[in-house]
Amino acid sequence: MSTLPRVESADPNQPASFATVLSHTPVTATRFFELYTEFWQRGVSPVDVREMTRMRNARVTDCGF
Amino acid sequence: MSWLLEKDAKTPFEAFLAHRPELLTGYRAFYASLWSEQLVPRRTLELCRLRVAAIHDCRQEWVIRDAEVALSAEQLAALERGDLQPFDQAERAALTVAERIPHQHHALTDDEVAAVKRSIGDAGCVSLLNALVLFDVNCRLKLTFEIPTEPMTLTQPPIKDGALA
Repeated sequence: MSTLPRVESADPNQPASFATVLSHTPVTATRFFELYTEFWQRGVSPVDVREMTRMRNARVTDCGF
Repeated sequence: MSWLLEKDAKTPFEAFLAHRPELLTGYRAFYASLWSEQLVPRRTLELCRLRVAAIHDCRQEWVIRDAEVALSAEQLAALERGDLQPFDQAERAALTVAERIPHQHHALTDDEVAAVKRSIGDAGCVSLLNALVLFDVNCRLKLTFEIPTEPMTLTQPPIKDGALA
């Protein structure tokens, strides 16, 4: 696994991050964040269950980010 | 038979996602943007979608076809077994990354990503990786929910009659 960003930030004044790399695809990025917000802010499952499954999924996929 | 009751919808996939209509709307818009933003050639998206479906042995996804991308029986058979020879250099670069996403994401190398960037640029690379992850997610959802298999040919992927195929 790479430890350095493989794609530069879309904003030359900002470091590479999940948001600034995703910004290379502005339409997709906007729709992704709209969907993700829906999950977190208006989800029907309990917030603690969502958080536990998010963290467990990060461990299973070995995602340190 | 699926674990969930089907809602009234135009496609089998939406019949399940419709249990959460707000999520369905957002998911459809997010997924459709991968085609509408046109940062990755439509044929490359089709090849990668089918390759990810083959890796998962996801029949529900495999039987969906983009009407604009005419693949021969030989090309389809090659995709199914993971043989990249029939495809051009840019397509092979994309398919090499696609191969990693379902079960080998940590094995993806800098050189493999760089090859994609050389062929379709940074924006194309980001769009392709988003697409690959969603192809993977769709297969997992369709297999987990045991969504019925319905062959479809799409003139405007990933939409069929206004709904997600």
